[in-house]
Amino acid sequence: MLLLIAPAGIVLVLFQIVPIVFGANASFRDWQLFNPAQTWVGLKHYLYILGDSTFLTIVLPNTFLLTFLSVTLSLIGGLALAHYLHRNFAGQWLMQTIILLPQMIAPVIGAMMMRWVFNDQFGVVAAFLDWVGFGPISWLAQRWPSFFIVILTDVWIWTPWFALILLAGLRSLPREPFEAAQIDAAGAWRTFTHLTLPMLRPVIAVCVLIRSIDAFRTFDVVWILTGGGPARSTEVFSIYTYVETFVNLDFGRGSAAAIIGALIILVVAGAMYKVAGRVADVAR
Amino acid sequence: MMALCAKKSDRRYRWTDALAPGGRRALFLLATIAIVLLFLGPIVILVVTSLRPGWAVFYIYRGTDFTLQNYRDVLATEAVMHAFVNSFLVATLATIVSIGVTVSSGYMLSRFRGPIPRAWFGTIYVFRTVPYISWVLPLYLVCYHLGIYDTYAGILLPHIAVHICFFSWIMKGFFDGIDPSMEYAALIDGCTRWGAFLRVALPSAIPAIAALGILSWLYTWNEFLFALILTGHNTALITVTMAQFVTELGTAWNLMSAMAVMAMGPAIIITLFAQKYVVRGLRI
Amino acid sequence: MAQVVLEEVNKEYGSVRAVVDVNLTIANEEFVVLVGPSGCGKSTTLRMVAGLEEITRGVIRIGERVVNRLPPKDRDIAMVFQNYALYQHMTAYDNLAFGLRNRKVPEADIKTEVMHAAAVLGIEQLLSRKPRELSGGQQQRVALGRCMVRHPQVFLFDEPLSNLDAKLRAQMRIELKRLRERVATTSIYVTHDQVEAMTLGDRVVVMLDGRIQQAATPLVIYNRPRNRFVAGFIGAPAMNFLSVELQNSDDRLHAVAENFRIRVPQDRVGELSRQRTRDVVLGVRPEHVLMGEPRPEHGTGFDANVEVTEQLGAELLVAVRVGGATLLASRIDAEATLVLHQPLRLSLDPRGLHFFDRKSGEAIR
Repeated sequence: MLLLIAPAGIVLVLFQIVPIVFGANASFRDWQLFNPAQTWVGLKHYLYILGDSTFLTIVLPNTFLLTFLSVTLSLIGGLALAHYLHRNFAGQWLMQTIILLPQMIAPVIGAMMMRWVFNDQFGVVAAFLDWVGFGPISWLAQRWPSFFIVILTDVWIWTPWFALILLAGLRSLPREPFEAAQIDAAGAWRTFTHLTLPMLRPVIAVCVLIRSIDAFRTFDVVWILTGGGPARSTEVFSIYTYVETFVNLDFGRGSAAAIIGALIILVVAGAMYKVAGRVADVAR
Repeated sequence: MMALCAKKSDRRYRWTDALAPGGRRALFLLATIAIVLLFLGPIVILVVTSLRPGWAVFYIYRGTDFTLQNYRDVLATEAVMHAFVNSFLVATLATIVSIGVTVSSGYMLSRFRGPIPRAWFGTIYVFRTVPYISWVLPLYLVCYHLGIYDTYAGILLPHIAVHICFFSWIMKGFFDGIDPSMEYAALIDGCTRWGAFLRVALPSAIPAIAALGILSWLYTWNEFLFALILTGHNTALITVTMAQFVTELGTAWNLMSAMAVMAMGPAIIITLFAQKYVVRGLRI
Repeated sequence: MAQVVLEEVNKEYGSVRAVVDVNLTIANEEFVVLVGPSGCGKSTTLRMVAGLEEITRGVIRIGERVVNRLPPKDRDIAMVFQNYALYQHMTAYDNLAFGLRNRKVPEADIKTEVMHAAAVLGIEQLLSRKPRELSGGQQQRVALGRCMVRHPQVFLFDEPLSNLDAKLRAQMRIELKRLRERVATTSIYVTHDQVEAMTLGDRVVVMLDGRIQQAATPLVIYNRPRNRFVAGFIGAPAMNFLSVELQNSDDRLHAVAENFRIRVPQDRVGELSRQRTRDVVLGVRPEHVLMGEPRPEHGTGFDANVEVTEQLGAELLVAVRVGGATLLASRIDAEATLVLHQPLRLSLDPRGLHFFDRKSGEAIR
């Protein structure tokens, strides 16, 4: 029976465990193109990054803010869309298709689309602003507008995911408590807050956990939309690591950044896992 | 009649029931329009842009000149076609191999108890949270040292390693959902353990595996970070090629749109014709 | 307090007619049980009264009000569901209080009501627990309490005991009866269990295929079933049916089948003679199949072949073969010594004979 997992095991070891060891090794060395000796430097890279004001004051806050806002907004949007789809109407399939599309197309394309939509001269938003009488806004030339577009795009991509999973959750809820609530004269909002939400809590907890871990490592959307700019103001953890490694060509420092990020997310995810478990348990 | 009861019960209590029928319909219509605008709008704009001649892109909200020239130009660019072929090959091969490898390991995890499944689960769970960037960096070094950087193996194997992580766990879920008593019956009827797996358990899991395969194919097709770091000119993938166009010829929106439309073709086709599997796949 | 009136009520799903022309008047404080096999329309009827289903045609009145267009919350009803439909994440207390809170009842009054209901149901100790920490019977009580605190005009019960095991069900049946005396309220109770129907109902309504087959007191339903379906559905073990031919001989009317011939009691001859057809179905409950010869004025018995016996301790169930048919006799002396595949002399209690039209299944009266 061990044979069954042998092929998977080999690939796993070679391309997951070996790289981690490799990366850990690199993070303690001066591993740059012009230093073939790869001198052991100990914790120098770690100390550098933990003292880097860009990392501490821009990259980390950006990463957490992006994670928090993207997950919260997609969850709210997803709940609304799930309720919208949770009924029988002609065209339900069509609407579900439309809602699914952003999740299905590549994030790279999604980000490109948004870049075009928010193009400060020819984008549809610029045309609309012009029509209502506002001057053009250079969305991607300032920090907060750029960040807003990054979050908007991420929410656009991930709301469908929440919607579809929550819809499945809604469909699996028993019908009787809702009928009892109808007889008990619970209003629409009270039914939602006192019945739907508590009953969906386990599903929501799992969704938020998975999505938070994913959002923490967002790369493609930010890379295409802003590249971390203007002037590194929208850099998130993945971009920072990438830039250190492949733009500055400092593998040692990049590896150290990668490991710091991995440790942060492991701790955060571990804590969230505990909370999610308790939340799901309360609802049961 | 019981089936009938089940069917009519699809109509559950909804918050809109609190509104008058007319108001409810208007609200519903408004929501529909908003959803179409928000979710389909950017895609439509992209498609329209891809059909406009180069000079008209800047006036895309006026004028009626449409052309297929952009598509002809894109198809004539060798690098782009090369990237399309590469993406197709990588997505297909990665999916087939990962599914083939994880079917058996997932089955093992589901049917056998002991330290190995537990260790396996632990490994998978930790890797699930490791940010891709933390992992793809050393992976680049490993591939470089193995001499498989910028070959198919160099991009395929890392993808397969990622898939293995998830899939074996997801497959375990599939097999957990299949009653093992069927296999016991097969064993008593003279099947070997392998026979019971291949002839009884596997066929029952096929629909779920199909859903997983479709999503994994699309995921690899859409993937960006691995493609960016682990491929060079030989194995350039479509997402990276597209991203380069965005940064390099930032103003040729008509060509970029045409390329993006082609690149999201598979996603749209899958959403339209295999939605059942997609919805099922998203929930796992 | 109110009466409930259903007039020509219909429910259709597309071309399927789930409830057909139901007419029923339920008096104030009357306890009516709707009973029938699954899919007979009994639950749909109840849900239309509750307002959980739209009424395709007809009128439902609660008290003096036509409620067809009223949402459930405005009908002044309360309902117990098959799986209790308790709010899983709320304590028992909050479950009871939820409906009152929705109606903006002051918290002090809510407390009084909840404590009172809890006292009646004996669940004071359980109020701080959540449903999943309660047993089936306790959950059932909480569900009842949720109805009681509101003092509605009508109680609706949708198979409330069917999730309980047999022993608990018998116990809850008795408690429900006791509760009825303390909280007299118009009630409609749906079940597929004929024992529940017989024991609980002031009146039993037997339904099949969306139509009311018979609505009467339990005893009338049992002793004078209006058709073959009602006769067969109510009573356990079920009524025996035997296709017989009516024959006149020696100035007497006889019911005759293969190896079977009994005299029709004099008081039934009149109604049977009015029938055009001679082919009828004879129905007789197992307890009316007796051992030995009848009294001479009732004619003669018949021979049957013992096929299976089931010892119940208090009585013996015997399945016998008569010609091509099988009859079940239930009240056989447990001490009787019967030999399998041996003939047995039996007779039928003349008071327990039912005759049905072979085609329509209607009782011949």
